[in-house]
Amino acid sequence: MDKKEIVRLGLILAAFCVISAGALAFVYIFTQPQIELYARTSFENSLKEALPGAESYKETEKNVFEGSKGEELVGWVFLQSPQGYGGKIGMLVGVDTEGKVTGVKILSQKETPGLGVNILKESFLSQFKDKTADDPIEPKKDIEAITGATISSRAVSNGVRQSIRSANELIKRF
Amino acid sequence: MSLLKDFSRGLVAENPVLRLMIGLCPTLAVSNTVINALGMSAATGFVLVCSNLVVALIRKIVPDEIRIPIFIIVISTFVTISDYVMQAYFQDLHHALGVFVPLIVVNCIILGRAEAFAYRNTVLSSTLDGVGMSLGFTLALGGIAVIRESLGAGAILGIKVLPQALAATIMILPPGAFITIGFLMAALNKLENKVL
Repeated sequence: MDKKEIVRLGLILAAFCVISAGALAFVYIFTQPQIELYARTSFENSLKEALPGAESYKETEKNVFEGSKGEELVGWVFLQSPQGYGGKIGMLVGVDTEGKVTGVKILSQKETPGLGVNILKESFLSQFKDKTADDPIEPKKDIEAITGATISSRAVSNGVRQSIRSANELIKRF
Repeated sequence: MSLLKDFSRGLVAENPVLRLMIGLCPTLAVSNTVINALGMSAATGFVLVCSNLVVALIRKIVPDEIRIPIFIIVISTFVTISDYVMQAYFQDLHHALGVFVPLIVVNCIILGRAEAFAYRNTVLSSTLDGVGMSLGFTLALGGIAVIRESLGAGAILGIKVLPQALAATIMILPPGAFITIGFLMAALNKLENKVL
Protein backbone atom coordinates (compact mmCIF):
# COMPACT_ATOMS: atom_id res chain seq x y z
CA MET A 1 0.00 0.00 0.00
CA ASP A 2 1.60 3.26 -1.03
CA LYS A 3 1.74 6.38 1.12
CA LYS A 4 -0.99 8.23 -0.77
CA GLU A 5 -3.41 5.39 -0.23
CA ILE A 6 -2.73 5.32 3.53
CA VAL A 7 -3.38 9.06 3.76
CA ARG A 8 -6.60 8.69 1.77
CA LEU A 9 -7.92 5.94 4.03
CA GLY A 10 -6.88 7.89 7.11
CA LEU A 11 -8.77 10.94 5.90
CA ILE A 12 -11.92 8.93 5.20
CA LEU A 13 -11.76 7.41 8.66
CA ALA A 14 -11.23 10.86 10.17
CA ALA A 15 -14.25 12.19 8.29
CA PHE A 16 -16.43 9.45 9.78
CA CYS A 17 -15.09 10.25 13.25
CA VAL A 18 -15.93 13.93 12.83
CA ILE A 19 -19.50 13.17 11.74
CA SER A 20 -19.90 10.77 14.65
CA ALA A 21 -18.53 13.27 17.16
CA GLY A 22 -20.86 15.93 15.82
CA ALA A 23 -23.88 13.67 16.21
CA LEU A 24 -22.86 12.76 19.75
CA ALA A 25 -22.30 16.37 20.74
CA PHE A 26 -25.81 17.15 19.52
CA VAL A 27 -27.38 14.37 21.61
CA TYR A 28 -25.20 15.25 24.60
CA ILE A 29 -26.40 18.87 24.65
CA PHE A 30 -30.00 17.69 24.67
CA THR A 31 -29.72 14.97 27.31
CA GLN A 32 -27.11 16.41 29.69
CA PRO A 33 -29.39 18.85 31.59
CA GLN A 34 -31.86 16.03 32.19
CA ILE A 35 -29.13 13.63 33.38
CA GLU A 36 -27.72 16.23 35.79
CA LEU A 37 -31.13 17.19 37.07
CA TYR A 38 -31.92 13.57 37.79
CA ALA A 39 -28.61 12.95 39.57
CA ARG A 40 -29.20 15.97 41.80
CA THR A 41 -32.84 15.40 42.67
CA SER A 42 -32.43 11.68 43.24
CA PHE A 43 -29.66 12.31 45.75
CA GLU A 44 -31.69 15.02 47.47
CA ASN A 45 -34.67 12.68 47.69
CA SER A 46 -32.46 10.01 49.21
CA LEU A 47 -31.21 12.45 51.84
CA LYS A 48 -34.82 13.29 52.63
CA GLU A 49 -35.66 9.59 53.06
CA ALA A 50 -32.75 9.10 55.46
CA LEU A 51 -33.51 12.18 57.55
CA PRO A 52 -37.16 13.07 56.93
CA GLY A 53 -37.37 15.80 59.57
CA ALA A 54 -35.00 18.20 57.81
CA GLU A 55 -35.71 20.62 55.00
CA SER A 56 -32.26 21.59 53.83
CA TYR A 57 -29.02 19.65 53.69
CA LYS A 58 -25.47 20.91 53.60
CA GLU A 59 -22.29 18.89 53.21
CA THR A 60 -20.22 20.01 56.21
CA GLU A 61 -17.52 17.35 56.05
CA LYS A 62 -16.71 14.72 53.47
CA ASN A 63 -19.65 12.27 53.36
CA VAL A 64 -21.47 14.06 56.19
CA PHE A 65 -24.59 16.09 55.43
CA GLU A 66 -26.05 18.38 58.05
CA GLY A 67 -29.82 18.50 57.94
CA SER A 68 -31.73 21.42 59.36
CA LYS A 69 -35.24 22.79 59.48
CA GLY A 70 -35.16 26.55 59.32
CA GLU A 71 -32.39 27.56 61.72
CA GLU A 72 -32.67 24.46 63.83
CA LEU A 73 -30.30 21.53 63.44
CA VAL A 74 -32.22 18.28 63.03
CA GLY A 75 -29.45 15.75 62.52
CA TRP A 76 -26.93 14.38 60.07
CA VAL A 77 -26.91 12.04 57.11
CA PHE A 78 -23.81 9.91 56.72
CA LEU A 79 -22.72 8.45 53.41
CA GLN A 80 -21.29 5.03 54.21
CA SER A 81 -19.76 2.37 51.99
CA PRO A 82 -19.35 -0.84 54.00
CA GLN A 83 -17.93 -3.91 52.28
CA GLY A 84 -20.76 -6.24 51.26
CA TYR A 85 -20.67 -9.63 49.61
CA GLY A 86 -20.35 -8.44 46.01
CA GLY A 87 -18.60 -5.14 46.62
CA LYS A 88 -19.06 -1.91 48.49
CA ILE A 89 -22.60 -0.99 49.48
CA GLY A 90 -23.29 2.73 49.11
CA MET A 91 -25.78 3.80 51.76
CA LEU A 92 -27.14 6.85 53.55
CA VAL A 93 -27.89 6.74 57.27
CA GLY A 94 -29.77 9.54 58.99
CA VAL A 95 -29.19 10.17 62.71
CA ASP A 96 -30.96 12.87 64.71
CA THR A 97 -29.41 15.12 67.36
CA GLU A 98 -30.31 12.62 70.09
CA GLY A 99 -28.27 9.92 68.39
CA LYS A 100 -31.30 8.02 67.12
CA VAL A 101 -31.39 6.53 63.62
CA THR A 102 -34.07 8.17 61.49
CA GLY A 103 -33.73 6.17 58.30
CA VAL A 104 -31.49 4.06 56.08
CA LYS A 105 -31.36 4.30 52.31
CA ILE A 106 -29.29 2.07 50.02
CA LEU A 107 -27.93 3.98 47.04
CA SER A 108 -25.89 1.32 45.26
CA GLN A 109 -25.13 -2.33 45.80
CA LYS A 110 -23.77 -5.35 43.93
CA GLU A 111 -25.18 -8.09 46.16
CA THR A 112 -26.39 -11.48 44.91
CA PRO A 113 -29.74 -11.32 43.04
CA GLY A 114 -32.48 -13.05 45.01
CA LEU A 115 -30.48 -13.12 48.25
CA GLY A 116 -28.34 -10.13 49.22
CA VAL A 117 -30.43 -7.80 47.08
CA ASN A 118 -33.16 -8.16 49.70
CA ILE A 119 -31.28 -5.63 51.86
CA LEU A 120 -33.23 -3.12 49.74
CA LYS A 121 -36.49 -4.33 51.26
CA GLU A 122 -38.31 -1.97 53.56
CA SER A 123 -38.96 -4.80 56.05
CA PHE A 124 -35.22 -5.17 56.54
CA LEU A 125 -34.23 -1.50 56.54
CA SER A 126 -37.02 -0.38 58.87
CA GLN A 127 -35.48 -2.49 61.64
CA PHE A 128 -32.74 0.09 62.06
CA LYS A 129 -35.09 2.95 62.78
CA ASP A 130 -34.81 4.43 66.30
CA LYS A 131 -31.68 2.43 67.11
CA THR A 132 -29.13 4.21 69.32
CA ALA A 133 -25.61 3.62 70.58
CA ASP A 134 -27.12 1.47 73.37
CA ASP A 135 -28.31 -1.17 70.87
CA PRO A 136 -25.95 -3.85 69.62
CA ILE A 137 -27.20 -3.48 65.99
CA GLU A 138 -25.97 -6.87 64.93
CA PRO A 139 -27.62 -9.61 62.88
CA LYS A 140 -28.92 -12.44 65.08
CA LYS A 141 -29.03 -10.11 68.10
CA ASP A 142 -31.47 -7.28 67.53
CA ILE A 143 -31.51 -7.32 63.71
CA GLU A 144 -33.22 -10.08 61.79
CA ALA A 145 -30.72 -10.98 59.06
CA ILE A 146 -31.85 -11.80 55.54
CA THR A 147 -31.91 -15.54 54.93
CA GLY A 148 -28.85 -16.60 52.97
CA ALA A 149 -27.31 -13.14 53.11
CA THR A 150 -25.59 -12.83 56.47
CA ILE A 151 -22.65 -10.91 55.03
CA SER A 152 -24.86 -8.35 53.30
CA SER A 153 -26.97 -7.94 56.44
CA ARG A 154 -23.88 -7.48 58.56
CA ALA A 155 -22.44 -4.91 56.14
CA VAL A 156 -25.56 -2.74 56.41
CA SER A 157 -25.52 -3.10 60.20
CA ASN A 158 -21.87 -2.01 60.27
CA GLY A 159 -22.72 1.07 58.25
CA VAL A 160 -25.50 2.01 60.65
CA ARG A 161 -23.35 1.43 63.74
CA GLN A 162 -20.53 3.51 62.26
CA SER A 163 -22.96 6.35 61.57
CA ILE A 164 -24.28 6.37 65.13
CA ARG A 165 -20.72 6.52 66.42
CA SER A 166 -19.91 9.47 64.14
CA ALA A 167 -23.12 11.21 65.16
CA ASN A 168 -22.33 10.87 68.84
CA GLU A 169 -18.94 12.45 68.27
CA LEU A 170 -20.65 15.39 66.54
CA ILE A 171 -23.17 15.67 69.38
CA LYS A 172 -20.36 15.81 71.95
CA ARG A 173 -18.90 18.84 70.22
CA PHE A 174 -21.91 20.97 71.06
CA MET B 1 -41.12 -12.00 -1.28
CA SER B 2 -37.43 -11.72 -0.63
CA LEU B 3 -38.08 -8.63 1.51
CA LEU B 4 -40.35 -10.70 3.71
CA LYS B 5 -37.59 -13.24 4.00
CA ASP B 6 -35.12 -10.52 5.00
CA PHE B 7 -37.45 -9.66 7.82
CA SER B 8 -38.45 -13.12 9.01
CA ARG B 9 -35.00 -14.68 8.83
CA GLY B 10 -33.97 -13.42 12.26
CA LEU B 11 -37.12 -14.50 14.07
CA VAL B 12 -36.67 -18.26 14.24
CA ALA B 13 -34.69 -19.79 11.35
CA GLU B 14 -31.60 -17.68 12.04
CA ASN B 15 -32.47 -16.47 15.52
CA PRO B 16 -29.27 -14.77 16.65
CA VAL B 17 -29.27 -16.17 20.16
CA LEU B 18 -30.83 -19.62 19.87
CA ARG B 19 -29.66 -20.61 16.38
CA LEU B 20 -26.57 -18.59 15.49
CA MET B 21 -25.54 -18.50 19.15
CA ILE B 22 -24.13 -14.99 19.01
CA GLY B 23 -24.73 -12.20 21.49
CA LEU B 24 -24.81 -14.70 24.32
CA CYS B 25 -22.98 -12.51 26.81
CA PRO B 26 -25.74 -9.90 27.34
CA THR B 27 -28.34 -12.65 26.96
CA LEU B 28 -26.96 -14.58 29.91
CA ALA B 29 -26.36 -11.48 32.00
CA VAL B 30 -29.55 -9.44 31.74
CA SER B 31 -32.20 -12.12 31.30
CA ASN B 32 -32.75 -12.39 35.07
CA THR B 33 -35.84 -10.18 34.96
CA VAL B 34 -38.33 -9.48 32.18
CA ILE B 35 -38.00 -5.71 32.50
CA ASN B 36 -34.20 -5.88 32.12
CA ALA B 37 -34.56 -8.16 29.11
CA LEU B 38 -37.02 -5.82 27.41
CA GLY B 39 -34.86 -2.77 28.13
CA MET B 40 -31.78 -4.49 26.78
CA SER B 41 -33.68 -5.68 23.70
CA ALA B 42 -34.94 -2.17 23.02
CA ALA B 43 -31.46 -0.66 23.28
CA THR B 44 -29.85 -3.39 21.19
CA GLY B 45 -32.66 -3.24 18.64
CA PHE B 46 -32.30 0.51 18.26
CA VAL B 47 -28.57 0.19 17.67
CA LEU B 48 -28.95 -2.79 15.32
CA VAL B 49 -31.59 -1.18 13.09
CA CYS B 50 -29.78 2.17 12.95
CA SER B 51 -26.38 0.64 12.26
CA ASN B 52 -27.78 -1.65 9.54
CA LEU B 53 -29.49 1.32 7.93
CA VAL B 54 -26.43 3.55 8.03
CA VAL B 55 -24.00 0.84 6.94
CA ALA B 56 -26.21 0.01 3.94
CA LEU B 57 -26.46 3.71 3.15
CA ILE B 58 -22.69 4.33 3.14
CA ARG B 59 -21.57 0.96 1.81
CA LYS B 60 -20.62 2.38 -1.62
CA ILE B 61 -18.29 5.05 -0.20
CA VAL B 62 -16.61 2.88 2.44
CA PRO B 63 -13.26 1.48 1.27
CA ASP B 64 -13.02 -2.26 1.80
CA GLU B 65 -9.78 -2.05 3.81
CA ILE B 66 -11.20 0.11 6.59
CA ARG B 67 -14.79 -1.10 6.66
CA ILE B 68 -14.54 -2.74 10.11
CA PRO B 69 -13.27 0.39 11.92
CA ILE B 70 -15.99 2.41 10.21
CA PHE B 71 -18.65 -0.10 11.29
CA ILE B 72 -17.37 0.19 14.84
CA ILE B 73 -17.57 4.00 14.70
CA VAL B 74 -21.16 3.82 13.43
CA ILE B 75 -22.15 1.24 16.07
CA SER B 76 -20.47 2.98 19.00
CA THR B 77 -22.08 6.28 18.01
CA PHE B 78 -25.54 4.75 18.26
CA VAL B 79 -24.66 2.92 21.47
CA THR B 80 -23.54 6.15 23.09
CA ILE B 81 -26.71 7.89 21.91
CA SER B 82 -28.89 5.17 23.44
CA ASP B 83 -26.78 5.30 26.61
CA TYR B 84 -27.35 9.07 26.96
CA VAL B 85 -31.07 8.78 26.24
CA MET B 86 -31.51 5.96 28.76
CA GLN B 87 -29.55 7.88 31.39
CA ALA B 88 -31.73 10.93 30.85
CA TYR B 89 -35.18 9.37 30.60
CA PHE B 90 -35.05 5.77 31.92
CA GLN B 91 -32.72 6.05 34.91
CA ASP B 92 -33.88 2.96 36.78
CA LEU B 93 -33.45 0.78 33.73
CA HIS B 94 -30.05 2.32 33.04
CA HIS B 95 -29.06 1.53 36.61
CA ALA B 96 -30.20 -2.10 36.31
CA LEU B 97 -28.50 -2.75 32.96
CA GLY B 98 -25.30 -1.04 34.11
CA VAL B 99 -22.21 -1.86 32.09
CA PHE B 100 -24.14 -3.93 29.54
CA VAL B 101 -25.39 -0.83 27.73
CA PRO B 102 -21.91 0.40 26.68
CA LEU B 103 -21.01 -3.23 25.97
CA ILE B 104 -23.60 -3.32 23.16
CA VAL B 105 -20.69 -1.97 21.08
CA VAL B 106 -19.08 -5.39 21.09
CA ASN B 107 -22.31 -7.35 20.66
CA CYS B 108 -21.45 -9.69 17.79
CA ILE B 109 -25.01 -9.62 16.43
CA ILE B 110 -24.63 -5.99 15.42
CA LEU B 111 -21.16 -6.15 13.85
CA GLY B 112 -22.10 -9.52 12.36
CA ARG B 113 -25.18 -8.14 10.60
CA ALA B 114 -23.26 -5.07 9.41
CA GLU B 115 -20.51 -7.19 7.86
CA ALA B 116 -22.55 -10.15 6.64
CA PHE B 117 -25.70 -8.39 5.50
CA ALA B 118 -25.91 -4.59 5.49
CA TYR B 119 -22.57 -4.12 3.69
CA ARG B 120 -23.88 -6.15 0.76
CA ASN B 121 -27.58 -5.25 0.58
CA THR B 122 -29.92 -2.34 -0.05
CA VAL B 123 -31.06 0.06 2.64
CA LEU B 124 -34.57 -1.39 2.73
CA SER B 125 -33.44 -5.02 2.98
CA SER B 126 -30.88 -4.13 5.64
CA THR B 127 -33.38 -2.23 7.74
CA LEU B 128 -35.83 -5.11 7.57
CA ASP B 129 -33.05 -7.52 8.45
CA GLY B 130 -32.20 -5.33 11.45
CA VAL B 131 -35.82 -5.24 12.61
CA GLY B 132 -36.19 -9.02 12.20
CA MET B 133 -32.95 -9.77 14.02
CA SER B 134 -33.93 -7.36 16.82
CA LEU B 135 -37.27 -9.08 17.23
CA GLY B 136 -35.53 -12.46 17.24
CA PHE B 137 -33.19 -11.20 19.95
CA THR B 138 -36.16 -9.82 21.89
CA LEU B 139 -38.06 -13.12 21.59
CA ALA B 140 -35.09 -15.14 22.81
CA LEU B 141 -34.14 -12.75 25.60
CA GLY B 142 -37.75 -12.24 26.68
CA GLY B 143 -38.47 -15.97 26.62
CA ILE B 144 -35.45 -16.76 28.75
CA ALA B 145 -36.32 -13.95 31.15
CA VAL B 146 -39.95 -15.09 31.53
CA ILE B 147 -38.78 -18.60 32.44
CA ARG B 148 -36.01 -17.42 34.76
CA GLU B 149 -37.97 -14.76 36.59
CA SER B 150 -41.08 -16.88 37.11
CA LEU B 151 -39.13 -19.90 38.36
CA GLY B 152 -36.49 -17.92 40.24
CA ALA B 153 -38.39 -15.05 41.81
CA GLY B 154 -41.94 -16.43 41.58
CA ALA B 155 -43.21 -13.26 39.92
CA ILE B 156 -43.16 -11.56 36.53
CA LEU B 157 -43.16 -7.75 36.45
CA GLY B 158 -44.36 -7.84 40.05
CA ILE B 159 -47.26 -10.24 39.36
CA LYS B 160 -47.05 -13.39 41.42
CA VAL B 161 -47.07 -16.62 39.38
CA LEU B 162 -45.59 -19.10 41.83
CA PRO B 163 -45.76 -19.43 45.61
CA GLN B 164 -42.61 -17.94 47.14
CA ALA B 165 -41.68 -21.31 48.65
CA LEU B 166 -41.38 -22.92 45.21
CA ALA B 167 -39.13 -20.22 43.74
CA ALA B 168 -35.60 -21.50 43.13
CA THR B 169 -33.10 -18.66 43.50
CA ILE B 170 -30.63 -20.49 41.26
CA MET B 171 -32.78 -19.57 38.25
CA ILE B 172 -32.04 -15.86 38.57
CA LEU B 173 -28.36 -16.52 39.28
CA PRO B 174 -25.91 -17.18 36.39
CA PRO B 175 -26.39 -21.01 36.34
CA GLY B 176 -30.11 -20.49 35.73
CA ALA B 177 -29.26 -18.63 32.52
CA PHE B 178 -27.18 -21.51 31.17
CA ILE B 179 -29.79 -24.10 32.12
CA THR B 180 -32.64 -22.15 30.52
CA ILE B 181 -30.79 -21.35 27.31
CA GLY B 182 -29.72 -24.99 26.97
CA PHE B 183 -33.27 -26.27 27.25
CA LEU B 184 -34.56 -23.64 24.82
CA MET B 185 -31.91 -24.52 22.21
CA ALA B 186 -32.70 -28.21 22.57
CA ALA B 187 -36.42 -27.54 22.20
CA LEU B 188 -35.88 -25.44 19.09
CA ASN B 189 -33.65 -28.10 17.51
CA LYS B 190 -36.20 -30.80 18.25
CA LEU B 191 -38.95 -28.66 16.75
CA GLU B 192 -36.93 -28.05 13.60
CA ASN B 193 -36.20 -31.74 13.12
CA LYS B 194 -39.90 -32.45 13.29
CA VAL B 195 -40.94 -29.71 10.87
CA LEU B 196 -38.32 -30.43 8.23
